[in-house]
Amino acid sequence: MTTLPPPSIAESLNIAAHAVSASKIYVTGDSEVHALDGVDVSFEKGKFTAIMGPSGSGKSTLMHCVAGLDSLTTGSVFISDIDLSLLNDKQLTELRREKVGFIFQAFNLIPTLSAEENILLPLSLGRRKGDTAWIDRVIDTISLRDRLNHRPSELSGGQQQRVAIARALASQPDIIFADEPTGNLDSKTGSEVLTFMRQAVTDLGQTIVMVTHDAVAASYADRIVFLADGKIAGEMFAPTAQKVLDYLKHLGE
Amino acid sequence: MFRLAIKMTVARTGRLILTSLAVILGTAFLSGTFVFRDTINQTFDRLFADVFRDVNAYVRSTTFLELDFGGEQRAATPVSVLNTVRGVEGVTSATGDIQAFARVIGKDGKPLGSEGNGPPTFGSIASADSVGLWSVSEGRLPIGPTELILDQATATNGKFVVGDTVRVVAVRGSREFTMVGIANYGDVSSPGGATFALFDQPTASEFLLQPGFVDAILVEGDDSVSDEQLAERIDAALAADLKLETLTGAEITAEVQGQIKNVLSIFSTFLIVFSYIALGIGSFVIYNVFSITAAQRMRENALLRAIGASRRQVSRVLLIESTAMGVVGSLIGFGVGILLSQLLSALLKATGFAVPSRGLAISMSAFVNTFVAGVLVTILAAWLPARRAGRVPPLAALRDTALDTAGNLTRRIIIGLAIMALGGVSLAAGMRDAPIQVLGLGVLGVFTGILVLGPAIARPVALTLGIPIAKLRGPSGVMARQNAARNPKRTSRTAAPVLLGVALVTAFTALAASIRSEIRDTFGDAFSGDIALTVDARGFGGIPLSITDQIADLDGVAQVTGVGFTSVRLSDPNEPPALAQAGAGQRGVFVQTINPATITGLFDLGVTEGDLTSLGKDGIFVAADRATEKGWGIGTRLQVTRIDGAVIDAEIRGFVSGETSFANYVASREMFADTPSPIFDAFVYIKVAEGSAVDEVQARVAAITSDAGIGTLLSKEQFIDEQAAQINQILALIYGMLALSIIIAIVGIVITLLLSVFERRREIGLLRAVGMSKSQVRTTVRWESVITSLLGAVSGVVLGVVMGFVVVTTLDDEGDIAFKVPINETLSIVLIAFVLGVIAAIYPAWRATRVNIVEAIATT
Repeated sequence: MTTLPPPSIAESLNIAAHAVSASKIYVTGDSEVHALDGVDVSFEKGKFTAIMGPSGSGKSTLMHCVAGLDSLTTGSVFISDIDLSLLNDKQLTELRREKVGFIFQAFNLIPTLSAEENILLPLSLGRRKGDTAWIDRVIDTISLRDRLNHRPSELSGGQQQRVAIARALASQPDIIFADEPTGNLDSKTGSEVLTFMRQAVTDLGQTIVMVTHDAVAASYADRIVFLADGKIAGEMFAPTAQKVLDYLKHLGE
Repeated sequence: MFRLAIKMTVARTGRLILTSLAVILGTAFLSGTFVFRDTINQTFDRLFADVFRDVNAYVRSTTFLELDFGGEQRAATPVSVLNTVRGVEGVTSATGDIQAFARVIGKDGKPLGSEGNGPPTFGSIASADSVGLWSVSEGRLPIGPTELILDQATATNGKFVVGDTVRVVAVRGSREFTMVGIANYGDVSSPGGATFALFDQPTASEFLLQPGFVDAILVEGDDSVSDEQLAERIDAALAADLKLETLTGAEITAEVQGQIKNVLSIFSTFLIVFSYIALGIGSFVIYNVFSITAAQRMRENALLRAIGASRRQVSRVLLIESTAMGVVGSLIGFGVGILLSQLLSALLKATGFAVPSRGLAISMSAFVNTFVAGVLVTILAAWLPARRAGRVPPLAALRDTALDTAGNLTRRIIIGLAIMALGGVSLAAGMRDAPIQVLGLGVLGVFTGILVLGPAIARPVALTLGIPIAKLRGPSGVMARQNAARNPKRTSRTAAPVLLGVALVTAFTALAASIRSEIRDTFGDAFSGDIALTVDARGFGGIPLSITDQIADLDGVAQVTGVGFTSVRLSDPNEPPALAQAGAGQRGVFVQTINPATITGLFDLGVTEGDLTSLGKDGIFVAADRATEKGWGIGTRLQVTRIDGAVIDAEIRGFVSGETSFANYVASREMFADTPSPIFDAFVYIKVAEGSAVDEVQARVAAITSDAGIGTLLSKEQFIDEQAAQINQILALIYGMLALSIIIAIVGIVITLLLSVFERRREIGLLRAVGMSKSQVRTTVRWESVITSLLGAVSGVVLGVVMGFVVVTTLDDEGDIAFKVPINETLSIVLIAFVLGVIAAIYPAWRATRVNIVEAIATT
């Protein structure tokens, strides 16, 4: 586990986002659940990081908090050098719009908007045009140019996820969060989608953080962070599916 | 299954409340009007029972005329009868009673009480006899020709204190009196907001009626015999040729109570009809809510089917649920209605009709009516959605999103247009000669057609209306436009209440605008004077003839003529006697009284045949179409029975067109010169002499009228405007209906939006996650609401204009009524719809911003 650098030099160390002693406590009745328990973690720029762990380990909570969708009970989260705990709802919204991209497991697209309108949504919400050349490149990469005017209901599951990836990439965010992006797809379509994500990092220089419980999906990442009981349980570089499965077995013991 | 249904109902309290809201609203109006009516009836019942407490017998004339709206006008009784009555054994005391026109002039020179539409202004007798209806609460009774007392409410409103000089206008003109006391009516300060000026009997008879006459005689017995026996004794003592009758105290009490109920029943029937319409429109909202919730729980219903529930069982769950909502909603609605009735009383009080209130009257029948209507409407509205829910295939449990299909659009368009066309044809037929039911069917057909058509046109119309919004509001606008169009059935059902209200109002407004311009032309041609003096008190009081004569004597006045109204009974000697003579009280007709010597050249009554100067004491002119209908011609003789019972053998000497005369019959004021129930003028027309300035003359006339405290002076233009504006009173009622449908429409839109927001919470969560701000979320909901509301308004306006056009062109055989589209009113309606959309969106939009992003996007 890496020791954490002070926030001020995050930029120089090529860190896209990091969390410091991040804790999230849910109170239900008189029992407290520590979904996150003092997590220190950082995500490097231009890398594909996967977060793994058994269900209830806090991996989704960690992602939601780092992405500015949810707030921590204690601790801090930074995207680039911005401390999210200091932002109000409006600033958080703008941060998500401009600096963060999202890919969810399902229901990624607005059903009333065309594929193209969905891709451009974060930009148009901020009344920005975006980098047209970049957007063209993204659309070509997901090879859906002939489907741009289709509604989500006219696209297959894999195509929908590719549109979602394009949307996440369109505004050139500092970091993209993906929450089980292949959870609803068959393995062939899933690997297609993962290949696109891999390409986005390798060829387009994007930063992706992906939550998954699928060892094969995780093997597309540069690095895996393992979470258990709300704590960092370990990490792995240059993973393969077999290595991940072995590690998970070991983690379960 | 029943227990499951109850559990499912209770498990969704939010939805229960939302659906019940529509039921509550509809039933609240209903129960509100019922309770209001019962409360007023009970109040007046008790009031009159109290007022006539000491009256054992009541002597009055047997000659009377029934007037429209349940009133009656009865001949006067000679004062000499008082002595006869006092001489009857068993009578303790007797006193005269008068209820005649008298208007108290306030300290600012303006008459108290509103002219025309407000509660009546009375002059009456205050007597020392214990049977008098009035009890002095301050000061003493009036004695002699210069004293009066006022009722408590009038004294308070006019800030009069004992010792003040009070000016009163009555049939004998305008006079000043010294106020010597204040009185209460029974134990209330004034019945129903009417004003009362009270005099001693000789003064009242002379000033208010005719010297030596009263309206009736109140008798108190010594309780030695029963009231019935006392009445019989008095009857026996009265001379037969006086045509008098004696009622017992109980009889007169019941009769007065009945009369008041009659008058009020017109008002309350009207309100109740409106309430049923409101409930009808509300049923659309209920139907819509059930349809949406049924679609939203499709997976749940499919699951029930998958594990073995039959179609019927699934439908039954929904029906049981709707029954529960109907029951709960109607119960709450009844309670809310009670509050509403109080609001209605307060509203009436604010407009001058103070209704004396003596506690609430909550009757069993009001409750049963409201409850049954509420529950029935709810179950009926839930019937179709429940059946649809039963047809859900078990496989739908596995599908993700709620489907809301618009069905076969082509079929829908064909059926909708066919029903509308049928409706249009019967509408046109109903306008001509067919019975009123055909007209009603026509309206029903047109509306049913548009409702069938609704889902087919909702999408294209909503998309078109949304174009500017999508252009101006960026992605939020684009999404608002798409959302308004994504469930065409839902959108059209939500817009239906707006559509219904707007279509009716537009049709009536178009009709009124056309009629109004027609009236303007007619009166512009008829009135060739410069100034008109009007008083809005047809049938009761008005401008004393003495004032008309005074104006004629003014400098600079070239010509003056007065026109008034009175009621008579007409009988056609040629008709079978059974029809002509149906008891002592017959329906009266209005006769326009004119001064034939002065009217020619000043106001054109539209004489089509004959010469008005030939009217004399026994001539009459008849509206041409009425004469045709009755088969009368010049020289036909009619029996005219005046209010005082005098019969005049009149002759038809001419015809009028009926367009500018305000009644079907015209007679000279000479015919009524010697009646003890005097006539008034309702209009005085004035022509200014050449060389005199109109405003100077008007100022001189104003000096007389303000001294008398009566009437309104109008220029020629204003007079024409006022005639044309009469149609506005009917419009006001129609606008009342619009207000009702607006309230229901708002609630309907709010409910639909809330359900939509709930249904789309994942979508909203996603939008928030990818950077939609709260204000952009609000914008999306707001504009969807506005588009829905405008959809109803725009299609309602189109429908209303078409309906108005059909009605006007059908009515107009001669082609002289030009169809007018009321541009301003139409624009206001669209503007109102816009504002309505914005208001309705406030709460749902706020709810939409409260969607928790993390919960919304969670996959399970």
